[in-house]
Amino acid sequence: MKNILTIMSKEFTRFFTDKRMVIATILPAVIIYFVYSFMGTMMTGRFTADEDHTPWVYSVNTPSFFTQFNINTVLIEANEIDTVKERILKGEVDLLVIFPENFDALVDAYDVRLTPDKPAPNIEMFFNSTAANSNMAFYTVTAMLDAYEATLSNKFDINRGIENPDLASIEEVSANIIAMMMPMLLMIFLYSGCMGLALESITGEKERGTLATLLVSPLKRRELAVGKILSIAVLAFLSGSLTAIATILSLPNLMGGIETNIYSVVDYILLAIIILTVLLLMVSLLSIISAFARTIKEAGQATMPLMVLIMLVGVSGMIGGGTQAETIYFIVPLYSSVKSMSGIFALDYSPINIALSAISTTIYAGICGYVLTKMFDSEKIMFSR
Amino acid sequence: MKVILKTENLCKTFKLSAKQQKLQNTKKKTITAVDNLTFEAYEGEIYGLLGPNGAGKTTTLRILATLIKADSGEAIVDGASVTKEPDIVRSKIGFLTSELKLEDFFTPNYLYDFFAKIHHIDPEVSKVRKKELFEKFGIDEFAEVKVANLSTGMKQKASLVISIVHNPNIIIFDEPTNGLDVLTARVVTDFLADLRNQGKTIIVSTHIFSLVERLCDRAGIIIDGKMIANDTLENLTAEKPLEDVFFDLYAATVGEAEKIGGTL
Ligand SMILES: Nc1ncnc2c1ncn2[C@@H]1O[C@H](COP(=O)(O)OP(=O)(O)O)[C@@H](O)[C@H]1O
Ligand SMILES: [Mg+2]
Repeated sequence: MKNILTIMSKEFTRFFTDKRMVIATILPAVIIYFVYSFMGTMMTGRFTADEDHTPWVYSVNTPSFFTQFNINTVLIEANEIDTVKERILKGEVDLLVIFPENFDALVDAYDVRLTPDKPAPNIEMFFNSTAANSNMAFYTVTAMLDAYEATLSNKFDINRGIENPDLASIEEVSANIIAMMMPMLLMIFLYSGCMGLALESITGEKERGTLATLLVSPLKRRELAVGKILSIAVLAFLSGSLTAIATILSLPNLMGGIETNIYSVVDYILLAIIILTVLLLMVSLLSIISAFARTIKEAGQATMPLMVLIMLVGVSGMIGGGTQAETIYFIVPLYSSVKSMSGIFALDYSPINIALSAISTTIYAGICGYVLTKMFDSEKIMFSR
Repeated sequence: MKVILKTENLCKTFKLSAKQQKLQNTKKKTITAVDNLTFEAYEGEIYGLLGPNGAGKTTTLRILATLIKADSGEAIVDGASVTKEPDIVRSKIGFLTSELKLEDFFTPNYLYDFFAKIHHIDPEVSKVRKKELFEKFGIDEFAEVKVANLSTGMKQKASLVISIVHNPNIIIFDEPTNGLDVLTARVVTDFLADLRNQGKTIIVSTHIFSLVERLCDRAGIIIDGKMIANDTLENLTAEKPLEDVFFDLYAATVGEAEKIGGTL
């Protein structure tokens, strides 16, 4: 036990006194926060018009009902159409609406049941989709005209007088979006967090001959395996949590209206347990691959299939749905952890399944740790030429 | 005199990969590195394994240090079996070979403390011993310099000191002067003599005759993994210098092998 702590303390010293390693750990979190926030601001800026802006609409052959809409309407003649189109492109005018002559009379005369082949009176509208205000004017006026058309021949209404027909609360909507995105992102963050560490700490030491120095000390192979796995897992937990926190913090910026402050302390604790157990499994799997490899380069190639597997399993969390899934899923390594994460994020989980996932994952990690112990004892693997 | 380390019929073969077969220019699938090796070392002596390159010296020492396992045979180190109690064997010996490296990232000072902890040495005791050893080898001057920035000689000194943090009674040293400049080599051999005077047992391997003559109380001559001669230095060199003894033995064994090869 004491030896395990001694090994861990050395691994931590190695990590925290190496500026490059620390920066490489913190940097992804910082980058993710700023990139997501920036992407969010860009998207919102691009698609949101000034809220106070009243559209400037120029119209030809304007019928009387149109002037009563809550917009700035300028009545023009047909020969001004081209100038107005240019002014729309310059951003001086938001929208051009061209009614047919005698619009009201045409509408009164038109009946689709009497003359099904004759087209209905047509309104032409011109706008500039790259200007937010013009864009909004187009959709506002289209909606107004649609509403006006509906009043002309009203047969039925939908949702009259109901302000927000969506029964799901903002918390539930947010939880579902987060539950869809976060498990996959977390799996990837966690994996990339421990991959570098495991390769460096096991293959690196083997390649440089420093592992042999540990192997001739009276350390037990088990202590060495456990010490390595635990220290890598703890460090990866730190880096993974940093990145996860950065992601959660930037989510509201990325997707406006999302509420991230919806989880209780218990939720976070359960999440931490799931993350720690799946990290132990990832690290011990990576350690086995690292111990087999002779060089870091070889190890990097050998870990590719595992990375693909982890990503696929992560994606399955996005499409899986049903967080109260059958218990049997919660003993499938890696998959159970993704399921548990999405359940916790969706605020819809059964504690028994979470516990089952944590326990089974720890057992799998233990088995891998045992394999690693045996590998440390094998001269074929440790001193392969 | 008390036998403190002994091997009985140690055998070790290696499988050769296709690449190694090419490298060593042989068609054989396996190579016998250690062939029925039996010897004893007495407490408080320096025992030398003398042999040309590829004789199996390093392999033998690696078996004694429990880094690799013998195919058959046994070795007992201060009462502990290398096959059954490797952890205990490792705690009783200090093992040094060029294959064991110190981590570039750390300083000699940090690594000394780390290995002292691994050996469960009382911190106070360890501190005194560290000061002594660091002064003796001049390590105190670069104790806080990362291993990556040390010269080969400095690294070797640091490795030597760190391999004996636990003040072991048995020290196993593979080619102790290989790759060292004459000054450092001298410091190391003097230190080995010093350790013997303190009552420690030392096993060294080497291909340098003068080293054996100057340092060893007894020696075994190994050729092709086999023990050809094993005696006190006095007896070995009673009639002629060690070098001549070796070449006569070498001609006899290798010549014989060639003769057999010729008749078959
Ligand atoms: N891991 C290994 N795989 C294959 N052959 C090896 C291995 N280790 C040593 N050998 C071979 O065993 C023989 C003895 O090697 P070694 O013990 O290093 O000799 P020495 O130290 O006396 O020079 C050599 O022929 C060497 O090539
Ligand atoms: Mg050798």
